[in-house]
Amino acid sequence: MSEQQQSEMYVAREKIHPREVKGPFQHLRNLAVVVLLGIYYGLPWLQWDDRQAVLFDLPSRQFHLFALTFWPQDFVYLALLLIVAALSLFFFTALAGRLWCGYACPQTVWTEAFIWMERLTEGNRQKRLRLDKAPWTRKKILRRGGKHLLWIVFALFTGFTFVGYFTPILELGQGVMQLSLGFWEWFWLLFYSVATWGNAGFLREQVCIYMCPYARFQSAMFDRNTLIISYDEERGEPRGGRARKADPKAQGLGDCIDCNLCVQACPTGIDIREGLQYECIACAACIDACNGVMDKMNYPRGLIRYSTENAIAGKPARVLRPRVVVYAVLLLAVLAGMGYSISQRVPLSIEVLADRNVVYREVDWATIENVFTVRILNKDRIAHDYALRVDGLEGIEAFVQDDRIRVGAGSTDSVVVRVQVPRDKIDGPGQPFQLRLESLQDPDVHVTNTARFNGPRD
Amino acid sequence: MASLSNGQDERKRRLLQRYGTTVWPSFLVAAVASVVFFGNIDPETLQVQTLPEWNISRLGGYTIGFFMFWGVGLASSILCLILQKMGNRPT
Repeated sequence: MSEQQQSEMYVAREKIHPREVKGPFQHLRNLAVVVLLGIYYGLPWLQWDDRQAVLFDLPSRQFHLFALTFWPQDFVYLALLLIVAALSLFFFTALAGRLWCGYACPQTVWTEAFIWMERLTEGNRQKRLRLDKAPWTRKKILRRGGKHLLWIVFALFTGFTFVGYFTPILELGQGVMQLSLGFWEWFWLLFYSVATWGNAGFLREQVCIYMCPYARFQSAMFDRNTLIISYDEERGEPRGGRARKADPKAQGLGDCIDCNLCVQACPTGIDIREGLQYECIACAACIDACNGVMDKMNYPRGLIRYSTENAIAGKPARVLRPRVVVYAVLLLAVLAGMGYSISQRVPLSIEVLADRNVVYREVDWATIENVFTVRILNKDRIAHDYALRVDGLEGIEAFVQDDRIRVGAGSTDSVVVRVQVPRDKIDGPGQPFQLRLESLQDPDVHVTNTARFNGPRD
Repeated sequence: MASLSNGQDERKRRLLQRYGTTVWPSFLVAAVASVVFFGNIDPETLQVQTLPEWNISRLGGYTIGFFMFWGVGLASSILCLILQKMGNRPT
């Protein structure tokens, strides 16, 4: 790193202190913050039967999701889940713009929470702006210190919760109390805490502006019927201050009184009156701020509002467009397929491995034998006894050491299976046959694999 | 943006932009790559097969893997950034 670059790291930016506004959209956003953070912090504490309801148990490579348990073999569901997430994002973006950014993105949600704490300790926007410029008095140290204390405690709890999704949170809590966590648990707890503290406390809107890839490509999902936040230029301009009782028309003014509240409320520090900008995260704070002013002035609301490019241009707005329908159909199809496939899922899987050393063995003059190792994975939460059957070749028979193959809940076991076929029924090497494993406790739990039987080439 | 008018802020903006085009995208890609890779491959098997004398837990394996992916992505991003800058210079 050059010296010039180094010095750049220490240059302070003008911090944006968004003004607190009240209004329906801000209530909605606050609700989203409470609900989403509630889910994030609450979910790991839920118990299901005798284990954590949602636990991505990385050490034992099992994902518990309420009644379901997923194994690495179920990787396809994770891939489908990612596809569903991407399609949902496309669908909602095409329909209503950057809903994700304004209401649901973790960056937004945690930033809001951090701003609440900032407001609690340092006061409202004016007070914070003044405090930024004030000298380091005892009061400033106390207020700043209080803020950072709150932030750090909150960030640590966030990191703790994050690790709690991967390690049972009750054990984790004890581990923290007794300072007996493993190195990697400490590492991730602190890593996630520092990331939260930095992103939500300091970087904030700069993550959206400089780092977020979605902010750059979301415009590809936009069209002229997508909901955006826009300023009604025709109605508002020419803007200018005026007395409350004055008639703007007589003064040649539009409805915008140029109070700048929409700019002060904006968490990314833009002026919505300059048109749609990629920095806009569609949080609607400017709408609430402006509507409050319009009410005071006795002007109709909606000088800044959710609208579409078509609506502003006076053209009819359409909700159902080919793009929206295609996204919706794809989304529903993938969701339905995924739901069906999960409901049909059998908590059992097997792997059939042929003996690599001996291709086939002649048991006697009339019988050929192949030896297989069958790896059984019981994905169920109870132990099962299984019966093994072979099929698909005339006279085929299977021999296992024990007739009852017992595998414990969530365990794997291997059994050696000797498969015999009469010599005169063999038609060369690599004959496919079916190997079927069925639970004795629950006949619905069964799987069938195809393996190949090798014999002499006559 | 009005607050980014002076030289200091311009430098700050460029620094953030550089950070945003290297550290962050490689982080996102590393997260996805780790999920895909470790969804299919157990780090414990990998360790037993390749470094049997080392003692690395699964959690450690995941972590090392994640930072390896991040490092590789970061290296590629930084190279991209440098090459793109040199492309702007007359030869």
